[in-house]
Amino acid sequence: MIRASFYQNGSHIQSFLIKGHADSGPYGQDLVCAAVSAVSIGTINNLEKLTNDSPIVVLDEENGGHLGCRFDKEVSHDTALLLENLYWTLKDIQESYPKNIEVQIQKNKIDF
Amino acid sequence: MLKMNLQFFSHHKGGGSTANGRDSAGRRLGAKRADGQSITTGAIIYRQRGTKIHPGENVGRGGDDTLFALKDGVVKFERFGKDKKKVSVY
Repeated sequence: MIRASFYQNGSHIQSFLIKGHADSGPYGQDLVCAAVSAVSIGTINNLEKLTNDSPIVVLDEENGGHLGCRFDKEVSHDTALLLENLYWTLKDIQESYPKNIEVQIQKNKIDF
Repeated sequence: MLKMNLQFFSHHKGGGSTANGRDSAGRRLGAKRADGQSITTGAIIYRQRGTKIHPGENVGRGGDDTLFALKDGVVKFERFGKDKKKVSVY
């Protein structure tokens, strides 16, 4: 089960942490894993390409299954939009695959 | 820039996740009293599955084949027929 936590500071998402494994199929055919990987890694790469905000990123390249991103300063509108896009995309995946991913907004800061 | 690894949130590298990997805890079977040891009524002598050891004099057998003393006394493991064993309390 993948667990995606988003920390909302006021009205903007300020950081997120995605942990775990989807287990929706064997390695190489795990659809949920591929979807979550694509949207989360894609979001981080696009944050760097499309905005002037620089995210602090933590990921476990060796084992996978651990990806965190946070901003220590107030985020711009574009960054907030990309993070919101990630949140709602993962929520849509959760709706179709509730056994494989759980998405939540939390009020306290995320510890990477 | 991060590498677009579509298996980043997948479980095992180079092999699918398995459905194995579970086991039940050991049942601690076997002798609970030694030959010549004193015993009180109701005390367990031997835990087993099936009758590895048969009940002898003053020994009862429970629903899970556990052997227990029917009276106070001393435990005695004995032969039972050609190739079997039994335990009694004297």
